[in-house]
Amino acid sequence: MAIKLDYVARETASNLFRNVTLTLASVLTVVVSLTLFGSALLLQQGVENANDRFKGGIEFIVYLNPAVTEEQKASVERDLADNPDVRDFNFVNQDETYEEFQRLFADSPQLVDAVEPSILPPSFRVAPRIQDPEVVQALGETFSGKPGVYEVVFAFEVVQRIQETFNKIGVRFLAAAVMLLVAALMLILNTIRVAMFARRREIEVMKLVGATNWFIRVPFIIEGIIQTLLGAAVAVGFMTFLIRPFIDELSRDRVLPIFQGFVVTDGNLLFTNLLVIGVAVVIGAIGSAVAVSRFLDV
Amino acid sequence: MITLESVSKVYKGDVVALHEASVEIDKGEFVFLVGASGSGKSTFLRLINREETPERGKIYVAGKDIASLTSWKVPYLRRNIGSVFQDFKLLTNKTVYENVAFALEVIGRPRHVVKTQVPAILELVGLAKKMSNFPNELSGGEQQRVSIARAFVNRPLILLADEPTGNLDPATSVGIMRLLDRINRTGTTVVMATHDRSIVDTMRRRVIELDRGSIIRDQSRGVYE
Repeated sequence: MAIKLDYVARETASNLFRNVTLTLASVLTVVVSLTLFGSALLLQQGVENANDRFKGGIEFIVYLNPAVTEEQKASVERDLADNPDVRDFNFVNQDETYEEFQRLFADSPQLVDAVEPSILPPSFRVAPRIQDPEVVQALGETFSGKPGVYEVVFAFEVVQRIQETFNKIGVRFLAAAVMLLVAALMLILNTIRVAMFARRREIEVMKLVGATNWFIRVPFIIEGIIQTLLGAAVAVGFMTFLIRPFIDELSRDRVLPIFQGFVVTDGNLLFTNLLVIGVAVVIGAIGSAVAVSRFLDV
Repeated sequence: MITLESVSKVYKGDVVALHEASVEIDKGEFVFLVGASGSGKSTFLRLINREETPERGKIYVAGKDIASLTSWKVPYLRRNIGSVFQDFKLLTNKTVYENVAFALEVIGRPRHVVKTQVPAILELVGLAKKMSNFPNELSGGEQQRVSIARAFVNRPLILLADEPTGNLDPATSVGIMRLLDRINRTGTTVVMATHDRSIVDTMRRRVIELDRGSIIRDQSRGVYE
């Protein structure tokens, strides 16, 4: 039997508007849960990309004491320039470091207020000629004992730390996302249940005149899927126009080369968005299907 | 058209709604079901369109054993059975036309069928001029006519009526009975549960009397008691 499209569209639309508040609650829950879910995926892919990039261009940073003398600085600079294993390097002064600091801690104004350029370490960002981590480490350590040098930090260590940090964040995001998805599922189940209750007289008449079970069920299931798709659309918007640019900004940061390569490609974004839409459809279909099969005994 | 073979139906708490009932109703018959409240009249009707299933016995509608019908086939059984109730069961947010059209739309009838059938049936029940009114703008008798139009618009083989005149005054009831009689004359089998003594006595049709779930009388051209 052909289910008429205009009938389904009409019924679904009127259901969605009948329960605006409940529909909004489910849609917003879906937005938050899917944004968390997608962000966790994007971060994870960003970390993977960053790792790949660093395999080709391992760097280390020679942090100098904030109170380093011009002589000490010049000596380190000369050693870097003379060392045949160093392919390239550049100097980042205290003001630039402060700018970077401001940007990184923009959401902690007290911290930014408490810090002045004069207490931050200037640094040399070094690109070695040979990429082998052990060689790089040996090279870097020749600078660690020099006068005026505060600390030598290796990019692969940083990458590892970032990876660990982001993995922890990712796991928490995913856990929160899963909990919220369960909440979204139950909200949709209840929205559909309320919609069916509001239309119980029509459902009774439909059964009486011999409408098939699927004819009665389909508008409700579509309603559930539309709710999650609306949520997915907003989540996809968030990820495309907020999360992704944020990650890009980090990766474009010239002062902090450790974030170089921490990028999300168009392919990553597309994959994540499609997955988020897929999850949305599944959640909507399951929630409403459970609702119709439990509360619509035909 | 409708055959019950030793049908028993027991509700929770050992309430016997129907006990060993055997009846045969032919195509085109008009049958009154009479008996006190709780005697099993409604159960009788609900068994025929499979809102209920019997504990024992067999029920045949149009030659099909409906107890063994899989649940997805039940809607197709119901397309052959129109139902009319004491409380009309009209949708208050739809007009008269929409209420009747709804019955055709939800079983997937094409739009041109809806557009021709609905005005025709509303003409038949005498409500052609009130197509755009809402149910609460109509009298009880008119509302029952709408519900009969909805039950009959798909030209079912059987019309089940559960106290269709229960909420109506005697004069209005006569009009409703004329309408049901007219539908019966088109060949539709009508089974009507009623408490209305004067209707049964005037119409002189087959009467089946139930008492605590048992058929105690089955009389052609019968009276109320």
